[in-house]
Order: sequence, then C-alpha cells, then structure tokens
Amino acid sequence: MTRKEEVFERVEKSILDFDGDKAVEVAKEAINSGVEPVEVIERGVRKALETVGKKYETGELFIIHLAAAGEAANRAINEVLKPEIEKKGEEIHFTGKVLIGTVAGDIHEIGKTIVSAMLLASGFEVTDLGKDVPIETFVREVKEQNPDILGMSALLSTTIPVQKDVIEALQKEGLRDKVKVMVGGAPVTQEWAEEIGADAYGVDAVDAMKKARKLVGA
Amino acid sequence: MVKRGVKGKELRLLSDEGVEAIHNAALDVLRETGIDCYSEKILEVFEEGGADVSDKRVRIPEYLIDEATKKAPSKILFCGRDPKNDILLEGSRIYYGFGGTPTPLILDHRTDEFRRPTKKDMIETTLVGDALPNMDFIMTNAGVFDVPYEVEYLHELDVLFNYTEKPILYSAPGSYLARKYLEMGIAVAGGLKELQRRPFITLYSEPASPLMLTESQENIIEFAKANIPIAIGPMPLSGGTAPGTLAGSSVIGNAETLAGIILAELVNPHAPVIYGGWGLTMDPRSGICAYGSPEFAIGANTITAQMARFYNLPSYGFGGCADGKLPGPQSGAEVMMNALVAGQSGVNLIHDCGYLAGGMVGSTEQAVIVDDVVGMAKRIVQGVRVDDDHLAVDVIKEVGPGGNFMTHKHTRDHVDEFLLPELFDRNSFGTWQSRGAKETRTIAKERVEEILKEHKPEPLGQEIREKLSKVIKEGKKELITKQKEAEG
Ligand code: B12
Repeated sequence: MTRKEEVFERVEKSILDFDGDKAVEVAKEAINSGVEPVEVIERGVRKALETVGKKYETGELFIIHLAAAGEAANRAINEVLKPEIEKKGEEIHFTGKVLIGTVAGDIHEIGKTIVSAMLLASGFEVTDLGKDVPIETFVREVKEQNPDILGMSALLSTTIPVQKDVIEALQKEGLRDKVKVMVGGAPVTQEWAEEIGADAYGVDAVDAMKKARKLVGA
Repeated sequence: MVKRGVKGKELRLLSDEGVEAIHNAALDVLRETGIDCYSEKILEVFEEGGADVSDKRVRIPEYLIDEATKKAPSKILFCGRDPKNDILLEGSRIYYGFGGTPTPLILDHRTDEFRRPTKKDMIETTLVGDALPNMDFIMTNAGVFDVPYEVEYLHELDVLFNYTEKPILYSAPGSYLARKYLEMGIAVAGGLKELQRRPFITLYSEPASPLMLTESQENIIEFAKANIPIAIGPMPLSGGTAPGTLAGSSVIGNAETLAGIILAELVNPHAPVIYGGWGLTMDPRSGICAYGSPEFAIGANTITAQMARFYNLPSYGFGGCADGKLPGPQSGAEVMMNALVAGQSGVNLIHDCGYLAGGMVGSTEQAVIVDDVVGMAKRIVQGVRVDDDHLAVDVIKEVGPGGNFMTHKHTRDHVDEFLLPELFDRNSFGTWQSRGAKETRTIAKERVEEILKEHKPEPLGQEIREKLSKVIKEGKKELITKQKEAEG
C-alpha cells in the first residue's frame, strides 16, 4: 500500500469508527503530508460514507450510525478540508447541494435529521436549517445559498399546508425555477406533493436519497 | 355512581433506589441545565415563581419541584357527561382510553383502505369508543381533516362533546384553543362552577423533547387557571430526542413532565395534574416511535406508575397501541403486551387503544379487538379469589368422585366471574366452521357496523349544540383572519 492509500484508509476508518476528533486529526495529517484535500474527500471521506449508507440500507447499521458517521465526516470536511480547498481556489464536488428543514409551526425533527444524514452519506452537501423554520428563512436561504434541492419536512395536519406556502413564496420571489423542491414527513403523500407542485416526495430516508439523486441527475 | 376501576398490580421493575435515582437525575437536569421555554407567558410564570430565568432558559430549584408535587392533588374524579361513566383516579386503579391525539389516517373498516379521515369518520369512531364496554375514557382514532386546518381541533372537540358521554381527554395546543376547549366544556356543563364540580374534560399537554416548553404549553396556564385537570406527557424518543437508554429517556420524560406540573402549580396551587413522565423508545433502524416495543410498554407504564406513586400523583400511560399496520398477528401481540403491562403496573389512564402503525393510523376495527384484549388484561389484573366460598370444599365433597358440577348452584353462582369475550371466538372448531369460518377481522368489522347501527348516546340539547357551533364559527373567523394578518 502506498503512503497515500494509507492516509485515505485512516480517514475512512476514523469515520467508520464514528470518531469526529480522529477524523479531524487524520485529515490534518493528510494535508500536512501533502495529499490533495479533494482526494482525501473523494477517496477517504466519501468511501466511508458510502459504506455506511449501504450498510444502513441492508440493515447492518442503524440511523444512529448513519448520523454519527455523517457528523464525523462533516467535521473533517468543514474544519480541515474545505478551508484548504477554498485556499487553493478549488471546489469540492458534491452530488448536489441540499437545504433542508422542518416547516414553521412544526418541531418534529427526527425524520428530517435522518434524511439529512442519509443525503450526506450519499455525497450531498447538506445545510440543515433545523425545526420550526419560518417561510422567510427558507426563501432567504434559497436565495443566498442557491441549493439544487430544498427539502421540507412536516408531520402535522396543521403544518403540511406550510409546505405549499413556502412553494408559493418561492414563486413570488422568482426562485421557484432555480431550485427543486422535495417534501416529506409521515402524513405527507405523493398526491399532496403533486398537488402543491413539489418536484419529489420521499417516503423514507432511502427513498429521499434516491429521489434526490434523480433530481440532480446523479 | 362512580366507576371504581380495577386495582392494578403495582408491578415494580425499579427498586426504591431506582425510583429515587430517576427523581434525583431529573432534579439535577432541571437545576443545572434547565429547560428552554419558547413562550413569554410561560417564562413570566417561572420568573415570578422563583425559578432562575435567563433569556429563554429556565433553571428550576429543588424546592419548587417538591412544593409543586406536594400541592397537586393525589386523586382526581374524572367525570363523564353521564355520571355512570365517572372514573376515580386514585392509587393503582386502571382505566383504558379509546384512541389518542388525532391520527392522520384511518383504516376504513368498510373498504380496507387507509385514508385521510373526515369529520364523519371521527363521529363514527367516537360512537364506537362510547359503546365499547372496556373503554373508560375517550380520545380519538381519527382526526378531522376535511375542514380548514386552523379549526381542526375545534371540530374534533365538537365531535367529542356531541358523541360521547364518557370522560373526554383531549389536546388543544396553545392558549387560544385551550380557552375554546374550556368554553365548549362550560357550555355543555352549564357554567364554570358546574364544570369544576364535575370535570368531564381533561387537557392533554405535550412538552417538547428534549427539555422544551413551547407556546403549545400555554394551554397548561389556561387549564390551571380554570382548575380543570391537565394530563402532562412528553414523547422523548431514546437515541433521538433522549439518551439511547430507557433510564435516560425516563429522566428526560420525568424532567419535562415535572416542569409542566410546576408551571400548573405556580399558576394555581392545587391545580389537578396527571403525571405522564414517559421514557419512550425510537426504533434504531427506522427511527419511528416504537409503540409496540417492550421497552415502550415498561417506559410508558411501569416506570411512569412507579414515579407517579413516588410523587403521589395520578398517572398516565399507554396501552392497546401497536406498530403493526393492520389488525392481525403483530398488532394483536403488541396490544396484549402493552395493555397487560399497563394494567399490571397500575397506571391510571391508559390511552391510545386502537392505534396502529405507531400512531399514524386509527382503526375502529382494531379498537373493538383491543376492547376484548383490554377485557382480558383487566381480568388477569383482578387475580384469583381464594376464600371458603371459592375453594368450594363443601361442593367438592357433595358432588364427590365421578360426579358432575354442571348443574350445581355454586357453578351458576360463579359463572359470571369468568370473562366472556365479546368478539374472540371460543366456539368449538366444528361450530366455527359451520357458521362460516369467520376471521377475527370480519367479526370485528361486523361489530363496528352493529354499534354504528344501534348505539345512540344521549344527544346534547339544541341550545348547547348551537353554542358549540358558535365557538367553531368564531374560531374560524378569529383563527383564519389571524393567520391572514400574520402572512400579510
Ligand atoms: C415524537 C413525536 C413528537 C415529539 C417530537 C420531538 C422532536 N423533537 O422531533 C413531540 C413530543 C415534540 C411531539 C409534539 C406534537 N405532536 Co407529535 N409525534 C411524534 C411521533 C410519536 C413520532 C414522530 C417521529 O419522530 N417519527 C420518526 C421519524 C423517523 O419519522 P418521520 O418524521 O415520518 O420521518 C421519516 C419520513 O417521513 C421521511 N421524511 C421526514 N421528513 C422528510 C423530509 C423530506 C424532504 C423527505 C423527502 C422525507 C422526509 O423520512 C423519515 C425517515 O424515514 C408521531 C407519531 C408518528 N407515528 O409519526 C407523533 C405525531 C406526528 N404528533 C402528533 C401531534 C398531534 C403532536 C402535537 C400537536 C401534540 C399535541 N396535541 O399537543 C405536538 C405538536 C408540536 C409541534 N408544534 O410540532 C400527531 C400528528 C397528527 C396530526 N393531526 O397531524 C402524530 C401523528 C401522533 C398522533 N397520532 O397523534 N410529537
């Protein structure tokens, strides 16, 4: 094994061990030893996340593992690799960029968090806006961050209509064509998604990941 | 006459030290970490009451917890519109409740389809709950989703007031809906005094895990002021919104519930509250709240009942609910487990009977099955009587070897002590076959139809019905315009 491959393997292992501190440490080492940060992401971080994602799909690992691996990976990327890449004026290639949140009036966030973790594991750049996210925040963030996909979660009969309100607000701001909208949450259905003109509906985290990949043509 | 429920069994899975440890852990969390309150009104109450408030964080000293749990009454008479349905929450007496908060789907017993329920569906499910003999209080197995969403709860309450004479337990998030809930209750009772004397409604308020009270919990303030009972129960999920252990989840559930109780007692010392300090579980694979798991059964019931006894408060638990999506083997096993565990634990109000798919689906067909299961659970909890009459030594001697007990008066005198299921089939195999070899689900559906045809609760007077309609009409105007203003 070459020295480089060894480095990738250590990054991969730190994430498979769900060890964020270690992931940051080995990512730093990798940079210090002169390995390209983009390569560290593609051959170390991504590889680990793909493994975790697959193992989740087959039932070997659980969502808590998916979320923990995602967090470790995010730390390595955000604390070490991304700043390096930006310094070089390069870009990270993500499957796509996703903004996600639970809509205003709704604080159910476990499902949304799981979906975020799954998307992260499948190579998306994910910004999680949290829960009870006001319509204006969605609109503002879409404008500022220019994501490929906006994901909205809602679990209440009283908050599902807010998904529609957000889509209308995007329309009003002339942003609707710039972003694909994906909706979900236990009581949300395909029919509702169609009715409000969303681009996709995800029944669970794996489905959300598949639909998201389709939306960005991956 | 008050229905004095079967005395539950006070099952103990926690030692006395275990109970104390969960209590101490919650004190520690409330004092050091505190809870976040997303409501000015709630913050004000805590601040004036002596809690340490900075920004939205509220840290609660031990003495407030002790005072609150001491002030709250240990018994509550939870009435029915018809006094024959009154239930007494005290000690380990158990009562089972039809449904829970509004389910987004129902399983249509006529078409086997899962669909969004309407007001008509909720009327039907409520009638079924009102008719089922083992259902002691009523929530719902269907939401009302064919009305503007702003007024969903008002319509649901309207159905409950009209179609059941049993005690009503329901949620009404926020202060506005809580006031409307009270207003409707007062209209039916004929005045606030009358409602207080015979509270036939109780509020269910659900703190947000982990460690948050939101504007929704302003309903506690309204009900405490009115001195009408409040059941408090959060839904912390182990590994999601709570630590990934049952004990840790129970600490969170306990802390959140205590915070709600303190809020009520600060508003009105001696306000009646019901303790639901649930430690619940998340399925680590799908992330769903696992209503059918064994850990859920004991977290929601056994631990809750033990903690409530420690605080000397009436308690609130779960039973008759399932993760299974259809009536059948999985859901049948799950409901028997949690209904029985709840009964054995002696938790007072046992809700969610009829829930399928972890609370996504309500089903009348499942509810009539659960009613039989609950009958069995109540029977087991009652145990065995051993006295001279029941030992029947004289009868044994009288009949003697080779005799027959079938015609003895003693047998007839005691035959009613055996539980006869309403629904479950105990015919001989041949009889069952010759009568059409019906499946349990078919029998359950027929029973639902029968109830819908026959069961007619006493209707409310014309004048009261009009008052309720007026509350909805005003609510529609106020809520929907408020919404529009907020948007515009
Ligand atoms: C836990 C829980 C809570 C917790 C939430 C804690 C938290 N911080 O998240 C608390 C206690 C706060 C809570 C509060 C309330 N709740 Co609640 N809650 C639940 C419960 C039991 C589980 C929800 C959950 O976490 N599921 C697990 C996750 C993994 O599932 P999921 O969210 O569906 O997500 C999956 C998919 O839907 C999808 N997905 C999710 N989001 C997205 C987004 C996108 C973009 C995509 C593609 C896919 C996707 O992928 C996920 C992973 O597979 C459900 C019951 C149920 N069966 O859903 C009730 C439930 C949702 N709650 C309900 C109610 C009524 C309430 C309250 C109004 C209670 C009350 N009456 O006061 C309050 C409202 C608070 C508020 N303003 O939001 C009702 C809703 C019914 C209705 N009328 O719509 C339910 C259905 C229970 C019931 N039968 O009554 N609740």
